[in-house]
Amino acid sequence: MISPPVWNKARVLLANGFSIMTAYRAQIFIWMLSGTLSLVMMLVWIGQAQQAPGGRIGGYSGPDFASYFLSVWLAGQMIVVWVAWELDFEIRQGGLSARLLRPLDPIWLHLAEHFAERLVRIPLMLLMLAAFAWLTHARFSTRALDYLLFTALVLLGFLFRFLWEYCTGLLAFWTDSSTSFSDLNWLLYSALGGLFAPLSFYPQAVQDVARFTPFPYMLGLPAELLSGRSSTGAALWGLLILLAWTVGFGVLRLWMWRVGLRRYGAVGA
Amino acid sequence: MRWRRYWRVLKVFLAATLSAGLEYRLNFVGALLVSLADAAVALLGLALFYSRPEAVSMGGWSYPQALLVVGFFMLTQGFISVVLQPNLNKVAESIRTGTMDFTLLKPIDAQWSVSTRNLNLLRLGDVLVGVVILVYALVRLGGVTAAGLALAALLYVCALITVYSLWFMLTTTAFWFVKTDNVTELFNGVFGAARFPVSSFPAPVRIALTFVLPVAFITTVPAQAITGTLGAGAALLAPIIAALSFAVSRVFWLYALRNYTSASS
Repeated sequence: MISPPVWNKARVLLANGFSIMTAYRAQIFIWMLSGTLSLVMMLVWIGQAQQAPGGRIGGYSGPDFASYFLSVWLAGQMIVVWVAWELDFEIRQGGLSARLLRPLDPIWLHLAEHFAERLVRIPLMLLMLAAFAWLTHARFSTRALDYLLFTALVLLGFLFRFLWEYCTGLLAFWTDSSTSFSDLNWLLYSALGGLFAPLSFYPQAVQDVARFTPFPYMLGLPAELLSGRSSTGAALWGLLILLAWTVGFGVLRLWMWRVGLRRYGAVGA
Repeated sequence: MRWRRYWRVLKVFLAATLSAGLEYRLNFVGALLVSLADAAVALLGLALFYSRPEAVSMGGWSYPQALLVVGFFMLTQGFISVVLQPNLNKVAESIRTGTMDFTLLKPIDAQWSVSTRNLNLLRLGDVLVGVVILVYALVRLGGVTAAGLALAALLYVCALITVYSLWFMLTTTAFWFVKTDNVTELFNGVFGAARFPVSSFPAPVRIALTFVLPVAFITTVPAQAITGTLGAGAALLAPIIAALSFAVSRVFWLYALRNYTSASS
């Protein structure tokens, strides 16, 4: 059987990434447990709702908060990206040189590793999600379309975040502190994405700005879809904006890669 | 004198760390930006709660009172990233590569030297931001007594000892599991809850954060000492927890060393 070379490459890269990631399964579990900020926020909001008169805040009851924040947690776990740290390390330590010798842009290696890691992560995550949902009485949407849109948003959100973090990592060609920028990225993403509260709780001015950034469509919108609070129209609009940002950062990545590589001299060169 | 020697070694470590840190002056700007943004996010989280008219103030805490908790949180975050992270994250690495042997051979307590050798001065910004938030909260609060402040300082020292001991215990597991740079991430995951007064959580979680994982004693208890709402029980418990966790971490470390057979054996 003749398999097209692209498909072949992708299969090998994925299989390779998968075997790396299964070796780190305990670490993946620990990483998952460390991304708990959305769960902490969930508990505090549930606590507030329980203490509020009427048991509701901004139209959300305790279980509503649970549905929203558990979905945020799920979406957040699906779009975890650490490529900026790896790039920073490779560029500063010279490990990039070895990768450049291969007849393949290193971005594909990183992408395959991230995808493979997701395959290890998802089963663990769904187990934990089921336990959390049972403990907090969270309820999720019953519309099949919502899950389809959720998947599309999360996939595109992951791609955008990957490219965005890749560009941040490439800053290491120019500066020693690209990882500080990565920290800033996370803060921007979590604040405007709706990790601290549903976006409708934010001041109007912040909401107006956030609407044109990709962040609410990576976390808040998928979470609202899963908890049955959003519409197909809103999801399609979100997909469109995310797509525009993804294409933009894809182009930026290509440009930064070309310019940066010209500056790059391996350690000892 | 024995203590004189430890003090002198500490001074040498500090000088070495400082001169290494000064090579990366520009990074300080980046790190400070991160600290500021970190604080902005913590404050945003808090502001979102207090902007809801129907929300009863965070389990009975007013905004400046809750700010105290955020201040202690940032300060602790600073302590972790300046003192704990740069030192203890290297322990796992040196066990794996075998350089731990050199540390053990030196005529000075090994726990002391692995805990004080490096400081990440770049992250002093976190400490600074914590202090600024605390001072702002104290000014807004008014009517703070000197006795309350002194008690808070004392309890906060206990909190730092507890945090150090917990981190150190997690680090010590590296003697068995080798690759534990991420075990400390577990600490961060739970510690995130310390951003908020413990009474703002639902009852079962509140109990867990007080008695199972001593998160309440790190930020909430010192803040309560300032606002004068601290019960005698918690005030007495804090030093006991600190002493106990320090003792346990010490015993655990000595036990680990006794079973240590170097990297290649």
